[in-house]
Formats: sequence, C-alpha cells, structure tokens
Amino acid sequence: MNKKGVILGVIVVAIVVGIVASYSSAPSETVNLDMGRTHGTISTAMGSPILGDPSAPITIVEFGDYQCEQCYAWFHNTKPAIVQNYIDTGKVNLVFVDLAFLGRDSPKAAQASYCAEDQGMYWEYHNILYNSQESVDSGWANSERLKAFAFSLDLDMTLFESCLDSEKYSKRVQYNIQQARDNGVKGTPGFFIVGPNEQQKIGGAQPFSVFKTILDSMI
Amino acid sequence: MIQTIKLVYSNPKYFLLASGIFVLMTIGLLILSEYIFLEPYVVAHLPSGSELGFILIVTLSALSALVIPMNIFRIKTLKSSKQKMGGGILGSIIGNAAGVCSCGPIGFAVISTFGSVGATATAFLTNYEIPIRIIAIVILAVTYFTTVKSLKVECNLNS
Repeated sequence: MNKKGVILGVIVVAIVVGIVASYSSAPSETVNLDMGRTHGTISTAMGSPILGDPSAPITIVEFGDYQCEQCYAWFHNTKPAIVQNYIDTGKVNLVFVDLAFLGRDSPKAAQASYCAEDQGMYWEYHNILYNSQESVDSGWANSERLKAFAFSLDLDMTLFESCLDSEKYSKRVQYNIQQARDNGVKGTPGFFIVGPNEQQKIGGAQPFSVFKTILDSMI
Repeated sequence: MIQTIKLVYSNPKYFLLASGIFVLMTIGLLILSEYIFLEPYVVAHLPSGSELGFILIVTLSALSALVIPMNIFRIKTLKSSKQKMGGGILGSIIGNAAGVCSCGPIGFAVISTFGSVGATATAFLTNYEIPIRIIAIVILAVTYFTTVKSLKVECNLNS
C-alpha cells in the first residue's frame, strides 16, 4: 500500500512540475487573437490587426508577401488612395494576411510583423517593411535587418528578439498561407473585398479605379 | 536593309505573321507582367516607376515580330539552314521568361511545384528582369543584323 502511495505521489508531483514548467517556459508576450474572426470565406483570425474601423461594413482582405515587388507597387500606388477615401472615412477596413512564398526571408519577415504586434506596433512595422523592400532574398529582410527595423521603432528588443529567434509565429504564418491556398489565391498581392452580402476577388496590384468601382457598388 | 525588309514583308503572309507575333507577344507579356488586367474588369495600368519595363516589353515584341518571320522566309524561300533561326527564338524565350515569374500566378505555380529550387529560379528572374530583357533585345538585334546580311548575300547569289 505504501509502495503504491509513493508511486502515486511521484506521478502527481511529476504532473504538477510538468504543468508549472510548461507555463514558466512560455514566452512572456501575450497575444490576443479572436480565433473566430472570419471575413467572407476567409479565416482572418491569424492575420493582421484590423486597419480602420472594425465595424466598417466592408473589409478588404489583402494576401501579400513582404518581398513581392507588385505588393510594393500596390502599397505605394493604390493603398494610399484607399486609406484616404475609404479607410480613414470609416467606410472600409483592411486586414493583411500573409502569403509568404517568394523567398527564404519572406516567412521570417511575416513572423517579425507579429512580433511587433505583440508590442502594439504591427502596422508601423508593416509599413517599414514595405518602405524598405529590396530584391528578393538580397539580405534586406534577414534576421539582423528585421531586428534593426524593430530597433528603429523603439520596440523592446529583448522581447522582440526572443519572439523572432524562437519562431513564435511560424505556425501563424503557415496558417495564413494555407488560408490563401484554401481560398484559391494564386499570387500576390491578392484581394478579397468582403461586403455585407457578397465578396469580390481581385488578383494583382490593380489600380485604385478598380477598387473604387467595386467598393462604391457595395456601399 | 530597307530593301531586305520590303522583300520579306511585301508578302502578306509574312506581314500577317509579324503582326500576329507582335500583338500576341505584347498583350501576353503585358498581362503576365501585370500591366493589363482581365478580371474583374479589363483595365490597363502603367504604375509610376515601371515605364522602362513597359518600353522593354514593346521593344522585345517588335524585334521578335521582325526577326522571326525574316528567318522563316530565309528557311522557306531560300532553303537556308535552320541554325540561324536559333537566335530569334532564344532571344524571344529569354525575354519572355524574365519578369513573368515574379509574384504572379506563374511564379506561385513554379514555387509550389519545385519548392526551393523554383523559388531560387524565380528570385533570379525577378531580381534581374531588366538586365535579362536587355540581353534578350541585344540577342534579337544581333540576329536581325546577321539575318539581313545573310539575306542580302543569299539573294544576290540566287538571283
């Protein structure tokens, strides 16, 4: 009976120690993800925070890669007009979902954006990446540069480095890539404009006039 | 040089062939390079900073349309060897490959199919799109001048 008691005790202690160890080794960053967040047919739960008014009736879901030059073109040529005319006016909001496929640095850059989100700086970091884009895998988005971008935003470097080095958001990025595949996205940038009753797909860095026509028809 | 062009393109068949190559190649490359979109609306778009790429596509298509029919004329009419045709085809293929394999559907398909090897290849073609297109144009220009020279010699010999 005593022998059984000792074994049981050891098992209980082992379980308690295991639970305590797992909690203590978890990263100290906290993530507030709404796991049920969807826009149309797309699960955006693992995507970016919402840019603009979360209660806006229309959402633009952008699938992009930080190394994609067409995404860079859309970011600089089309997005500013959309932000000014639709997002800042509360008519539309935007969610960015990673389709990080172009090169070895693409997934790392996407993970880094979520490490910045941990410190409330997702969109600032996102903008820095698209403003700093160079050739694919030329080193502009390697770990050192990603950390340098974080430093330039005055992020807590201990938290950021532990997040990036531990690949904390690797599965989040993979989930987003799978969402793109599940929704038939075959290149970047790819867009879904999700309105109250319909959703419209747009492929490529199309001009503002195309977005305007679709958005105006949904408002 | 003008006489040689007149000799080839006075035949409506070669003129039609050249027009077809130019139109199909220009439109095809402009679609693949995302200057023209077909969905959800047909729209042409020339973003600032991409003017050089557009000019290179039109130049490449024009040279391909000029060189390929001339070489076909040489082979068919003058029964020349098919070897010199290679320059025109090679230039066109190299020019077509550059740039179309970036973030679009072709690049996505290549990377999805071939993994890291595909990613390396598409990265190379994307990063060096402009120099590759310039090399293709040089190849086509050289092929054009050698074809004109060869047509002059062969026509004189045959006449």
